Amino acid sequence: MNKIHEVLRRLRMLFYRKQFQADLEEEMRLHLELREQEQTDEGVASSESRRAAYRRFGNPTSLKEKSYTAWGWGWLEGLMQDARFALRQLWKAPGFTVTVILTLALGIGANAAIFTLVKAVLLKNLPVVDPRALVRVGDRADCCQNSGPNQDGDYSMFSTDTYQQMKKNTPEFEELAAMQAGFENRPVVIRRDGGQDAPKPRMGEFVSGNYFRMFGLQPVTGRLLSDTDDVAGAPLVAVMSYATWRGVYNGDDSVVGSTFWMNTKAVTVVGVAPEGFYGDRISSTPPDFYLPIATMPDEAGGKSMRDPAQNWLDIIGRVKPGVALAPLQEKLSAQLKRVYATYPDFSAADIAKTHLVLTAGGAGTQSMQENYASNLKLLIWIAALVLMIACANIANLLLVRGMQRKTEMSVRTALGAMRSRIVRQLLTENLLLAGVGGITALAVSYGGARLLLMLAFPGDQHVPISSRPSTEVLLFAMCVSMATGVLFGLAPALIGAKAPPADALRNGTRTTTGGASLLQRGLVVLQAALSVVLLVGAALFSQSLGRLQHTDMKLQSKNRYIVHINAQAAGYKDEQVNALYRLLEERFHAISDVVKVGVSTYTPMEGNNDGYGIQLVGQPNLHKSATNIIVNSEYFDSVGTRVLMGRGITVQDTATSPHVAVVNEDFVKALFKPGENPIGHRFTAGGDPAKPYEIVGVVQGTSYTDVRWNGAHPMYFGPLTQPSEAGYAGAIVVETAHPISDMESIARRTLMEINPNLAMQKFETFDAQIAGRFTHEQMLSTLMTLFGGLALLLATVGLYGVTSYTVARRTSEIGIRMALGADRSGVVAMILRSALLQTLLGLAIGIPVAFYGVTLVKSQLYELTTVSNGALVAAVGILLAAACVAGIIPARRAASVDPVRALRTD
Amino acid sequence: MNRDEIPPGTLYLLILKTLARHGELHGYEIANSIQRTSDEVLQVEEGSLYPALQRMLIKGWVTAEWGTTAGNRRARYYRLTAVGSRQLALEISQFERVMGAIGRVIQAA
Repeated sequence: MNKIHEVLRRLRMLFYRKQFQADLEEEMRLHLELREQEQTDEGVASSESRRAAYRRFGNPTSLKEKSYTAWGWGWLEGLMQDARFALRQLWKAPGFTVTVILTLALGIGANAAIFTLVKAVLLKNLPVVDPRALVRVGDRADCCQNSGPNQDGDYSMFSTDTYQQMKKNTPEFEELAAMQAGFENRPVVIRRDGGQDAPKPRMGEFVSGNYFRMFGLQPVTGRLLSDTDDVAGAPLVAVMSYATWRGVYNGDDSVVGSTFWMNTKAVTVVGVAPEGFYGDRISSTPPDFYLPIATMPDEAGGKSMRDPAQNWLDIIGRVKPGVALAPLQEKLSAQLKRVYATYPDFSAADIAKTHLVLTAGGAGTQSMQENYASNLKLLIWIAALVLMIACANIANLLLVRGMQRKTEMSVRTALGAMRSRIVRQLLTENLLLAGVGGITALAVSYGGARLLLMLAFPGDQHVPISSRPSTEVLLFAMCVSMATGVLFGLAPALIGAKAPPADALRNGTRTTTGGASLLQRGLVVLQAALSVVLLVGAALFSQSLGRLQHTDMKLQSKNRYIVHINAQAAGYKDEQVNALYRLLEERFHAISDVVKVGVSTYTPMEGNNDGYGIQLVGQPNLHKSATNIIVNSEYFDSVGTRVLMGRGITVQDTATSPHVAVVNEDFVKALFKPGENPIGHRFTAGGDPAKPYEIVGVVQGTSYTDVRWNGAHPMYFGPLTQPSEAGYAGAIVVETAHPISDMESIARRTLMEINPNLAMQKFETFDAQIAGRFTHEQMLSTLMTLFGGLALLLATVGLYGVTSYTVARRTSEIGIRMALGADRSGVVAMILRSALLQTLLGLAIGIPVAFYGVTLVKSQLYELTTVSNGALVAAVGILLAAACVAGIIPARRAASVDPVRALRTD
Repeated sequence: MNRDEIPPGTLYLLILKTLARHGELHGYEIANSIQRTSDEVLQVEEGSLYPALQRMLIKGWVTAEWGTTAGNRRARYYRLTAVGSRQLALEISQFERVMGAIGRVIQAA
């Protein structure tokens, strides 16, 4: 009890320290005055009485200090003294302080930014109940729906039919749910009933009725989907995402139960999904609406739901406790083999290969994770390299500072300062630096993560990844900076404190051999080596990007605009689309200065396609697959693809004329012998022998989806108006005679005039669409350049620090040399030589490492397998130039040494 | 006049006793009171008086309040608390035990 009161009183002393000090001082002053008065009264002379009073009283300052000790806060006072002193010292050396803080901030900040992203993208689980019990059926991130055999037999996407069979036959799953794959490309057009707003494209994802139950989610309001919603003929319902409910409908409760016009169908919104749930995968286009799978044919008109061969679903399940995954995987693979054995497309060899892999499903279908994993891993390595450079730099700076203060330390030791006290003082200084550096690093990491997100998803606002550093990242940054402070601060502190006092008195800084220590030079060499690795990397990645961008994609993008529509969403039926296509061609042609109007299912570099198994009629099945695109007669001209043989698609190819196709060069290469003329041959696609295509022409191998497809991907193009495997045309390519700035609003108006329900889902220039396929490479290249620049900057600072330190140490030596007749250029050369020597040593180490490093990242480079001469020359040149800059400033300072003054210093 | 230093460890005892006798005093009065009461034999080292008072404040043996002296000056007056009274009794008994023991040692032939 008393103890507690005592502690409270001590704390009060601490908080009202100033007050207590003033009280004590006043009390003592009174005492002294009274004593003085007493002496005077006794007849002592006034000057003498004061002295006597003081003699009796003692030193008031030391008394005050003794009283603090009584309060028990001596250590805190000491610490604050240390901190104040440290601050003063740092303030006196702003160059050093700022450099260390910036170095720490950049080194640690870059790492923290990368970790924030890694954690968000690679390690984050879905915000659902017990994500660890979720298992995904499949292990690949397939983008596009398809049918037919996969080359390696590993399946990750399945048809509705396969899903239902799996669900029925696997009691090992508590719940097995399915969701539409690749829904990024499948918006629905929505308009709230009674509202004045125009129909807008929004993301709608088709999911099984047990989707939300499988994830263990509860609605914010209303209800989530159930099994009874997911049957053919059930009333059309939808669940709205929380973000849409809040963002678009202001959290209006009346949304639940109200009718929305979705692709011209009346759909009732039955509830709102929980806050924070962004669907079953990280995506830049999270779903706004969740719709039951069985309603897909009604709402979106897609054929994939009913086609037993069309793979379009991802599957995630929650396994019952105690279920072993290996036998379950075997069982599912065997089921899949049985299903595919009934499909005509599959050969016995295909069936033998067929299998699936179960993976952890807690993070959902990790398409983005897969896309970014290798990039992020590379970035982690690079950030670690930058951190190493930063640490080397800080070690160097602290060493230099420690040596510079050797004299100061010697004097302090000579004056009786305790060694432990000096070490404590220096450590306080370093920890203070580290602390400030760590906090600055957090700011850098926040900005860095935002920058990374911006680079990775240009123009996207909806990525469910926060750039705010998590607690772990915060701790990481703080720990690293503190560790750096202690680790790299301790050595110079110990060296400094060991300084024998005699040194200070002996004028011991004069030296000819001195200068930077081996350790310091070693650190600079290491920095140069690491920088050259990063610079080579940066040069290679920008080269790779350049090559990708300048690949001949066999298309023309100048003055071309691409308008995306969804005819199904607007309510068009099979028998109505041909009329729509004609209208589109007519109306867009009617716009002034429009040269060509192409209409097709997909356009080049759009990032999507439909693939089917193909077979030449009368030939053995080679089990090849090809991408199918249906186009109108002006399509090839509108995208700039040239016809090489035969003819393109023409207006004479109609619903009643013979079934024809134009194929690309790769198709010919894949199915015909060299020199064989493909024109006139017939082939079937998608295993449908009823309507074989006759090849009427061959076009160039234009890049679709990815420029790496160039020359390696078979494709066939059918006329829009003839029956095919493909769905409705979704893209209009408008070629104009010159750039038209308001093409977007013109196109929107044109569509509205055709049909108010025909909303424009996306508008881009062809150039922008192509650039969109390079964001990945662009991001890598930009980041590598950023990191390379950062490394270079740090290395330059390091070299500059060591060189200028050398110059400072050798001032008197240089003075003697110059007094003895050395000329300025000789001194400059001498200083520069040593700076360049360290850089060259760094190059000698760094270049082989760079060569080795390239073999590790080869897969992320386009058409580059080793360090190119260009990259090497660029990296070496930049580093040498930086070394010269870092060396020339101190070298000039050395050369301007006045011999007389130099000899007089020290 | 020959004055003696206060024996170590007895400063608290003397301060507590002085306060117990006089009610409330400021630092200067405490020092003078001890000196007078001891017939000018004991002189409080004023340097150690104030740290001792601070410690006693923290221990809760005394409380302090600002008041005015007869000469109309501001001064901090110390007063014994209940805890201080108990402490005084404890210190006295301890002192007597030690003194008795020393006395016996001296008197032993």
